[in-house]
Amino acid sequence: MTLEIKNMTKAYGGLRVVDDVSITMEDNDIIGVIGPNGAGKSTLFSLVTGFLDGNSGSVTFQGKELGAASATVRAQAGLVRTFQVPREFSHMTVRENLMAAVPDQLGENLLNTFFRPGQVARQEVESAAKVEETIAFLKLSAVADVPSGSLSGGQKKLLELGRALMTGAKLIMLDEPFAGVNPVLIGELSEKIRELNARGIGFLIIEHDLGALSKLVHKMYVMDRGRLISSGDPAAVLSDPVVREAYIGGGVT
Amino acid sequence: MTGFAELLFSGLMSGLIIGLAGLAVTLVFGIARFSNAATGDTMTLGAYGALVGSAFTGSVILGSLIGLAAGALASVVSYLLVFRPLQGRSPISSLLASIGLAFFIRAIIGLVFGHDQNVFQLDIVRPIKFAGIRIQPNDLKFAAVAISTLAVVFIILHLTPIGRRMRAVADNPLLAKVSGISPRPVMLALWSIAGAVSAIAGIILGMKTVVSPESGWEMLLPAFAAAVLGGIGHPIGAIVGGLLIGVAQELATPFVGFTYKIAVSFIVLLLVLLIRPKGLFGRSEGVR
Repeated sequence: MTLEIKNMTKAYGGLRVVDDVSITMEDNDIIGVIGPNGAGKSTLFSLVTGFLDGNSGSVTFQGKELGAASATVRAQAGLVRTFQVPREFSHMTVRENLMAAVPDQLGENLLNTFFRPGQVARQEVESAAKVEETIAFLKLSAVADVPSGSLSGGQKKLLELGRALMTGAKLIMLDEPFAGVNPVLIGELSEKIRELNARGIGFLIIEHDLGALSKLVHKMYVMDRGRLISSGDPAAVLSDPVVREAYIGGGVT
Repeated sequence: MTGFAELLFSGLMSGLIIGLAGLAVTLVFGIARFSNAATGDTMTLGAYGALVGSAFTGSVILGSLIGLAAGALASVVSYLLVFRPLQGRSPISSLLASIGLAFFIRAIIGLVFGHDQNVFQLDIVRPIKFAGIRIQPNDLKFAAVAISTLAVVFIILHLTPIGRRMRAVADNPLLAKVSGISPRPVMLALWSIAGAVSAIAGIILGMKTVVSPESGWEMLLPAFAAAVLGGIGHPIGAIVGGLLIGVAQELATPFVGFTYKIAVSFIVLLLVLLIRPKGLFGRSEGVR
């Protein structure tokens, strides 16, 4: 089992934003999390990736209970997220963004930079080759040396995916990857996700574009007002009256 | 005209020192996100380290390397003991702590070395004449050291893995966290570089003038002014800001006198904050 979220709860005062949510993911799953705005999906992501501390509940990743591990430690363990509004190191180029995320670099230590320059340089060459592969895979070659702040919304989403890949992520949590992305790129992005999944990377995806999502995921969870109200096969979930009720006719297509 | 050219040259020389100090301020601001008021006293510490080192080794160059190491070490230790525990709190806590640290360093230096002025034993060389301007050969060496220091810092920032990570943290600290970039090596690198750069600025200043426990502290205002003028968090901006302030100070000397030239920094700082708070280079939130 890759990821086990157990009885996760987060409350602000009396308001339970995430209420007793449990989700399990096998290796190589692509799982969708849907629900109306304010259902607590992004908060759940923050709890799982260590941005927020939950009031109760636990997260186990690849057999290890994460406890109070920091966001950095979780990312290093292979649990990496993206953001609803894409984030990037905006003053650095696409290539630099990806290079920065390569894990276990000897050269991340200043002393090594001075005293083991040969080894650091050799590792740089290896990292650069991996980055080149990722750039080619995501078709970002044309903008590789452009400051990432000036990319289009869709390109920034690709870059986020690329950065997650460079960290060596085993499970990538995507927060609304299709929002604000044109239909052609949505198709391409879905294709990339499938390809990566075939290489053994799991995905947990929050998305409002239920059409695109249901074609992609193996299983869907539905949240409403902090609680899980339904889960299962995408087709079954989308025809579940409880789910339709939660959306009150809006959004389910 | 010659007088003007000589003032200009001497302004560029002080500008390099101010620029180095401003660079240290701006790096810390960009990555650790507060204004480090102990920058000036780290300069002083570097200068005293170099004095002691020179006396021990008999070589000004070896002594200066010792001073540089002392500055870097003091800076890393102050991070570990003072600024790291304050991480995650308001930048005001770190700023106030840095003011306290500044007094502490100055007091220790005063206690150990006394308050007399010290000078480096440099060979006295005849000034050379170039296009009618008298130039001290030592000034050329200082300029070469300052420029090499800047080159090394920029090479680290832009061409090495640790530099890339420093810029990433400056650019978007939250994203750096989720990208698995550990803050610790980045902070250690930042503080060693800031300390070493401050020490070099202090050593050059000491060699050009005298070394006293207050000499670095008096450079703090110009250093802040340079960082703010260049756009705080912007390394190249700090250098350009430093050069402009150095030149402005020297050119103002015939009018306001030697004693008051420091006021130029204050006026620059005030005007920039009032008119263009983001400084010359515009973007106000990190190291690029």
